Amino acid sequence: MQLMVETRNLRKTYSRPDGSTIEAVKGVDLEIRQGEIFSLLGPNGAGKTTTISMISGLVTPTEGDATIGGFSITTQSMQAKRLMGFVPQEIALYPELSARQNLAFFGRMYGLGGKALSRRVYELLEFVDLADRQKDRIDTFSGGMKRRVNLAAGLLNSPPLIYMDEPTVGIDPQSRRRILDTVKLLRDEQGMTVLYTTHLMEEAEELSDRVGIMDHGEIIAMGTQAELTQQVGEEDRLEFTIGAQEIAEDLVERVQHQTAGVTRILSNPPEQISDDSSESTPARLIIFAKRGRTALPQIIQTLDAADVDIQSVAVREPDLEAVFLALTGRALRD
Amino acid sequence: MRSILTIILNDLKIFFAQRGNLVGLLVIPVLLTLVVGWSIGQIGGGGPTRLRVDLIDNDQTELSAILIEELRAANDALVLCPLDNDADDFCRLGEDPLQLDSAIERARSGRTSALIVIPAGYAAALEGFERINIDYYSLSDPLLPSPVLQSLNAVLQRAGSASITTGVAGALLDNLTAATDLPPLDKETRDGFLRSIYLRSQEMLTEQPPPVRFRVADADNEGEDGSSNGFNQSGPGMGSLYVMFTVLGGMAVLLRERRQWTLQRLMALPLSRAQILAAKIGVYFTLGMIQYFIVFAVGAAAGMDFGSDPPALLAVMAAFVLCITALTFALAPWIKSEGQARGLVLLLSLSLAPLGGAWWPLEIVPEFMRTLGHISPVAWAMNAFQDLIWFNGGFTDVLPEIGVLLAAAAVLFIFGIRSFKYE
Ligand SMILES: Nc1ncnc2c1ncn2[C@@H]1O[C@H](COP(=O)(O)OP(=O)(O)O)[C@@H](O)[C@H]1O
Ligand SMILES: [Mg+2]
Repeated sequence: MQLMVETRNLRKTYSRPDGSTIEAVKGVDLEIRQGEIFSLLGPNGAGKTTTISMISGLVTPTEGDATIGGFSITTQSMQAKRLMGFVPQEIALYPELSARQNLAFFGRMYGLGGKALSRRVYELLEFVDLADRQKDRIDTFSGGMKRRVNLAAGLLNSPPLIYMDEPTVGIDPQSRRRILDTVKLLRDEQGMTVLYTTHLMEEAEELSDRVGIMDHGEIIAMGTQAELTQQVGEEDRLEFTIGAQEIAEDLVERVQHQTAGVTRILSNPPEQISDDSSESTPARLIIFAKRGRTALPQIIQTLDAADVDIQSVAVREPDLEAVFLALTGRALRD
Repeated sequence: MRSILTIILNDLKIFFAQRGNLVGLLVIPVLLTLVVGWSIGQIGGGGPTRLRVDLIDNDQTELSAILIEELRAANDALVLCPLDNDADDFCRLGEDPLQLDSAIERARSGRTSALIVIPAGYAAALEGFERINIDYYSLSDPLLPSPVLQSLNAVLQRAGSASITTGVAGALLDNLTAATDLPPLDKETRDGFLRSIYLRSQEMLTEQPPPVRFRVADADNEGEDGSSNGFNQSGPGMGSLYVMFTVLGGMAVLLRERRQWTLQRLMALPLSRAQILAAKIGVYFTLGMIQYFIVFAVGAAAGMDFGSDPPALLAVMAAFVLCITALTFALAPWIKSEGQARGLVLLLSLSLAPLGGAWWPLEIVPEFMRTLGHISPVAWAMNAFQDLIWFNGGFTDVLPEIGVLLAAAAVLFIFGIRSFKYE
């Protein structure tokens, strides 16, 4: 299997205005194979955007290097950049120009011109289903429409490799569906290699051939979904949503000792969603157990006896969320 | 190169797609140029209040010195070159002594208002009551009143009258000594006596009001109405002011492009950083030149002069725009928000413009303000424009100003390019 992207010990240290430094990416080694969808899954601030920025030549690595189709991004960046398309997390379009003007400009920058340019621009507008709005200014578009033009702009040079940095952030479910389908189409019908970043486990699960889980600037696990879930063993995950209350230490210990198969318990206190909101996430109790369904009645009984207000309970089989939990002790969305 | 042009054209397209920019580029500067031009024309302060006059004294006698002194007294707006040159080299002589050939050339091209040549033998001729020509060279029409010619005539008239008085006195003296049979006076005594009469009569004539008085409003008599002169000040002045507004505004745009990630998208394209930077510099340089052309077009329609050396004028415009572009790139990395950028644009434009003489000529401000004003690039540009437009100067006359502007641009570009934020 040929490698499309290979990074070695990629590092990026930013200095803050106050003089302190932050290591956004701490030595990442990635191998992305030709024709696969590779997802970088990690919470906000994990270092996904910084990683993509380094392997697309936007940001100079503090240390390390990456090759794209064999070309070094630091010493052969022109050749490397010709192989890739880039869909940034922001809507990187000129709001004052129309959809078509935006695409035509970036197309011209790839050396397209004349008939070939107008054909390619029209083709892509059709592909993202915006041909009828091509003459409208970007700043009149909805979030979902902007995202689609943003995606089209990354495909202008028909690259064999495309980076997509959280391309579904802030859009309606329909537009999200459309984009996820498009990503699969690019791999299946055009044989493209896709590097996709997201903080949503569901997206990574639906799309990826292989996944790299990222946290605090490091890749903490990498492999196919099956390989990753095997790492956490056979344990099911029991997720209890409970009323706003503290779970006492000794109750946690009691559940752990009285129930067969329970391996680990995490209790997340309620959290305010944001500073200016009175809403808060409900408190959660997450219990890992072998044969979770069998253990469930016993656990509920113990919690009931301790007067815990159980609002809902879900039994989940091993998934990427579980891998992240197991490795970091935190949920992806936290 | 093609990519750079494509980026420049695209950025210009975006600039012109924003209506607010058109108001700033077109409407306000045009209105201001007209209003300021007319107002300055009305109060007669449009032009330089000093006239550059070359003077070559081949006589070098006491009498020629008196003539020169008289000339100064007759019109204090005359700056006699090289005698009365100032520290700023108002005469534009540089290091070279004034030669007749070059002085004639300066007068012909209009760089000086006139050239006066006092011939050798001037004093002898006056004393001998002989005819002698003082050569006067000037571009201005001899049939129209010229302030320099008027002053010269007034002075010569006095010198002539005094010399007649002396001649008469001399003849009288000779007749007297002959008639009274006195021994003839020795030459020295006779000359001393006659000189004292000459000086006394000069003095008396001077105390009379001079036949012609010089007024500042008549400074430029080229057969146009007085108010059009105002555009020679307001055109370059408002042009330079709005070049600053427009070009410095680029600080906010550069910030926005990084915020909206269009700059990053450019960097993901197969382009070098140097190409991107060159394109961005090109954009603001082009906008600055467009701004000058707009204001100068309005000035031209209103009667502004452009001097006689268009390439030199273009060079001055380009040097100033480049300097302001460099300032934009030097400041841009420190800007944190668009509001901050807007504040800085206003602050810089509204302080550097008046300091540098964009609103009124620096000639009318106190000496120390004029000196202080030269920290503003506007002052150097306005100096150069004045040389070209008022004094019909050429490329060599504005080389020092162009040099200063380009040197400042180079220094600022080094700062700007080094700290340009790509990431
Ligand atoms: N230009 C920058 N200057 C300073 N810190 C930065 C910069 N860009 C990112 N960071 C920091 O680096 C970390 C990783 O950010 P990022 O790569 O954007 O994460 P993600 O895309 O996974 O959300 C964050 O803590 C972020 O605050
Ligand atoms: Mg990100």
